[in-house]
Amino acid sequence: MRSALLLTALAAASVLLGCGRGEQKAVRAPCPSGEACLEMGVGAEPTSLDPHRSSGTWERQIISDMLVGLTDADAAGEPVPGMATHWTTSADALTWTFFLRDAKWSDGVPVTADDFVAGLRRIVKPELAAEYAALVYPIKNAAPINEGKLPPEQLGVRAIDRRTVEITLEHPAPYLPYLLLHHVAFPVPKHMVDKYGDDDWMKPGNYVANGPYKLVSWSLGDRVVVVKNPLYWEADKLCFTRIHYYPTEDRISGERQVLSGTLDTHTPLVQNRIAYLRREYPQYLRTHQSLSTQYLFFNNTLPMWKDRRVRLALSMAVDRDFMTTKVRGMGEPAAYSFVPPGMPNYTPLPPPEWASWPLEKRQAEARRLLSEAGYGPKKPLKFEFMMRGYDPTGTYAAVQADWKQIGVQAVLNTTETQIAYQNYQIRDYVFGEAGWVADFPDAMNFLYLLDSKTGAHNYGGYNNPAYDALLAQANLEPDVQKRAAILRQAEQLMLDDIPIIPLFTYVTSNVTSPKLSGMVENPGDTHRARYMCKAELKK
Amino acid sequence: MLRFILRRLLVAIPTLFVIVTATFFLMRAAPGNPFDGERKLPPAIMKNIEARYGLDKPLIVQYGDYLADVVRGDFGPSLKYTGKSVNQIIAENFPTSLKIGLPALILATFLGILLGVIAALKHNRWPDYSAMAIAILGICIPTFVTAPLLVLIFAVKLSWLPIAGITQGLKSYILPVIVLSLPLIAVISRLVRAGMIETLNSNYVRTARAKGLPEHTVVIRHALKTALLPLVSYLGPACAAIITGSLVVEKIFGVPGLGKSFVLGALQRDYTVVMGVVILYAVLVIALNLIADVLYAVLDPRVKLT
Amino acid sequence: MTASTLIPGMRDGSKDMQAVAGRSLWDDARRRLFRNRLAVAGMAVLGLLVLAAAIGPFLVPFAFDEVTKTDVYLRPLQSGHLLGTDYIGRDMLARILVGLRVSLGVGITATIVSLVIGIAYGATAGFIGGRVDEGMMRIVDVLYALPFVFFVIVLMVAFGRNIFLIFLAIGAVEWLTMARIVRGQTISLKQAEFVEAARAAGMSGAGIVFRHIVPNLLGPVAVYVTLTIPQVILLESFLSFIGMGVQEPLTSLGTLISIGANNMELATWLLIWPALFMVVLLMSFNFIGDGLRDAIDPKDR
Repeated sequence: MRSALLLTALAAASVLLGCGRGEQKAVRAPCPSGEACLEMGVGAEPTSLDPHRSSGTWERQIISDMLVGLTDADAAGEPVPGMATHWTTSADALTWTFFLRDAKWSDGVPVTADDFVAGLRRIVKPELAAEYAALVYPIKNAAPINEGKLPPEQLGVRAIDRRTVEITLEHPAPYLPYLLLHHVAFPVPKHMVDKYGDDDWMKPGNYVANGPYKLVSWSLGDRVVVVKNPLYWEADKLCFTRIHYYPTEDRISGERQVLSGTLDTHTPLVQNRIAYLRREYPQYLRTHQSLSTQYLFFNNTLPMWKDRRVRLALSMAVDRDFMTTKVRGMGEPAAYSFVPPGMPNYTPLPPPEWASWPLEKRQAEARRLLSEAGYGPKKPLKFEFMMRGYDPTGTYAAVQADWKQIGVQAVLNTTETQIAYQNYQIRDYVFGEAGWVADFPDAMNFLYLLDSKTGAHNYGGYNNPAYDALLAQANLEPDVQKRAAILRQAEQLMLDDIPIIPLFTYVTSNVTSPKLSGMVENPGDTHRARYMCKAELKK
Repeated sequence: MLRFILRRLLVAIPTLFVIVTATFFLMRAAPGNPFDGERKLPPAIMKNIEARYGLDKPLIVQYGDYLADVVRGDFGPSLKYTGKSVNQIIAENFPTSLKIGLPALILATFLGILLGVIAALKHNRWPDYSAMAIAILGICIPTFVTAPLLVLIFAVKLSWLPIAGITQGLKSYILPVIVLSLPLIAVISRLVRAGMIETLNSNYVRTARAKGLPEHTVVIRHALKTALLPLVSYLGPACAAIITGSLVVEKIFGVPGLGKSFVLGALQRDYTVVMGVVILYAVLVIALNLIADVLYAVLDPRVKLT
Repeated sequence: MTASTLIPGMRDGSKDMQAVAGRSLWDDARRRLFRNRLAVAGMAVLGLLVLAAAIGPFLVPFAFDEVTKTDVYLRPLQSGHLLGTDYIGRDMLARILVGLRVSLGVGITATIVSLVIGIAYGATAGFIGGRVDEGMMRIVDVLYALPFVFFVIVLMVAFGRNIFLIFLAIGAVEWLTMARIVRGQTISLKQAEFVEAARAAGMSGAGIVFRHIVPNLLGPVAVYVTLTIPQVILLESFLSFIGMGVQEPLTSLGTLISIGANNMELATWLLIWPALFMVVLLMSFNFIGDGLRDAIDPKDR
């Protein structure tokens, strides 16, 4: 009797918890009649909707659906004409001229070249204290203006007439069209900023847009609501007329809301659920290799890391294949170089010879190197490994176990993320880990991190004058091919020194309803809502 | 009694002052600042930001400025959410926390007392054991397990309730309220049970029984009244904690409450947000403790309020 | 645990009673405790768990931090892993036993800290009363209103991170409620006849508190202790969650459960087993607490 009861209960439970795939009757947020609503989980609460005061990818999603720069992203994230219909470049690659289309802000005021000049001057002016200002430093005089050494009027950007913008650069930057589709380079409605000031022009009610959608409301922790901007030049092509952005901080909850049909798309995902999603919901899971590198680094200013053999041994002993295939399992490629694969105008460096050895051979070699360097069972290498916050994936526990195999004792120290960064910056640590995601697709965006002139942001304190000189040389080279060759030479020089241990390339992850079209996976995880649609909404 | 309340209200002012002062300096003693991140800001930009929020002044001056603002009811701008003031954040999020916290509190108190009384009356018999089994499960399963589990059953598999968010009206609040009240039910029922068992064996309840009073009168009028004493002590601060929100519930259910501001504010060093929430919380704790003490006196005539 | 820390002081206090009763109050309590079948079962299970935490890790054929690369996400009973393996191929049984050790350590140490501070503080405030009580309770109010997370962050960063500090930090926060409960009870008790009698007999204040009031508080305190231990264990896991807890490869039951909750649909054993250990552990504490309450409550006599 009792066991029969138990069995029934178990059966009931397995029905509840077990299979039963497919989209159920979705519980969706109310959508006003006559509107086509897109429900989007962006993964975090925006700290600001000001294009010049935000830095997160979730903020980028919302802001880029409302504002458009000189260039814009296509569905795959590649630059296409935005507010500028076309542009020309001078022979020395230093002066770029952009020709604007006839467009209006959502309040009917025309978008002019002055709005772009105002936008770029705004992000570098010291009073705005924009965190991301350094991104536009390739523009002439941007750095000294940002540091308060020159007035904003000296910035290398001017309005030739109402519809022509000219940008002058410090050095050739073939990636400028990519940079201009980033929100740091977005225009601001000068008439509104002049009227309401830097803080209040972006409040709902004042915020005017030149892009496909305009702001309706933003309630903290709940959602941001935007609706179609009828004055957008391609307003008739928009499929969705209203978008709700949710700060889906709980990633599993966001994922479940998409699977049940409450949301149409959500990002990012919890690492160790990828395998499950790939198995059970392959049509929902979307991933793409990104332009990023996760790496470990030595505090190269410490005497204990002076010996290259020690650094090489530690790099060799890390089993990147186990890490990427078993521990992370998202399809991340193992990395042996710093610039990730897929970088435009760049050929990745080949992995070192030992990368193809079996793990046992690498471990044996690593042990030999360590003992040559004076370490052994009697005098094991022991150090503290500072991590940025809690790692639920077990990636660093796996690295720790790898090193234990060669007799190295790494003590993991989980430190609050921002405190870890602070310690890295002042070099108050022994060994650390960090990830870098490209701000714009160019090898220089990675390699400059190890330039000794980069200062605090060169966490490992790598200092090699030959490397610095090569980077300076590349910066002055207008020819894209020659520039790439110099950069490759620099990277090889640096990798041979082993100041860092590259681990893998990150993969972007979205869970998206198969009904949602127009979302093309791309390295930058750039998805403009204007290209999205649902089969049932197509006219 | 009135004198007691008045005096406590007077004492509340220096208490609040001490809390504000202690939190202010404790927070500034913690390493880090709200603008630290992956990219070290160039010193020039850092200086601009600090000037913008007055963080470049000596700490004691900042403290003075802050106190002056607080007295005027202005908690300042959030350092992390540019464009939102702390007053605005509290005004937007506190009502949501209340909407979940109050029903959870009422539900938990009602069910907790009910379970506790039943368990005590049937002491060492099966209703006692089953009530306490429920209570123990409620205590020892963390909310970060119950929340996703209930979501999995009622939202994902059965589709009766929304998975997250507050866009579905009343339905949106059911799961968060239940999850929030579960551990509370457990604690309350145990406290009530312990108190009831003790008072049911006490002399005056025996006397009341001996006088031939009906059992329900004995239980409700005599025993329960005394048995609720430990509960009253417990509920004061618990109530303040519950209506100011819970990080886990807010995160898993995507509810815009104040609990997140508390924890994330502290982690991100959003000084003004933490200060604002701490002050709100402190006022609630002081007020609710005062109410608890008054109730204590009302329920237990042996206690003199002086 | 509760009783053993306090028995010496109390045994003295009941001397006069002993003369009348002809036997020790505490012998009596012990007899009653051992007559309570649930409490005995609780003690037996707790004893087993403590034993498992102490020597278990030496008996399991796998080390708790041993990564077996071919054995990621193994179900229970595969390749000699009794409870399966986790996301990087570590034996779950070994990890649970170590987690049990850490959780027991955190729970008991922090609770003892909170118990000692809470009882001393609450009984003193309640017994002296008046301005002293007022002042002491306002201090409790102030501490209540301070953000716990912040307190811990400051401790961690200022003094470095280790488990001992986590114990201390949690214990130093958890005593507040204990103090309030003890104070409330003390105020009620101090008007009781036997306290009046002791006072009339010329007993000192401290003597009355520790010989008469504290022993009488043990009922509600024992109950609250059984509530505090799970709270402490859960708080510890919350700390691990926000990156302030036990360092990998070490773990705790709370941490294991929180990781398991993320894996609910794909690897149920990562949640079920640690959760089962946690429930059994806390249940045994609860039964012991209840038994203790019934046994040492002098009003039952």
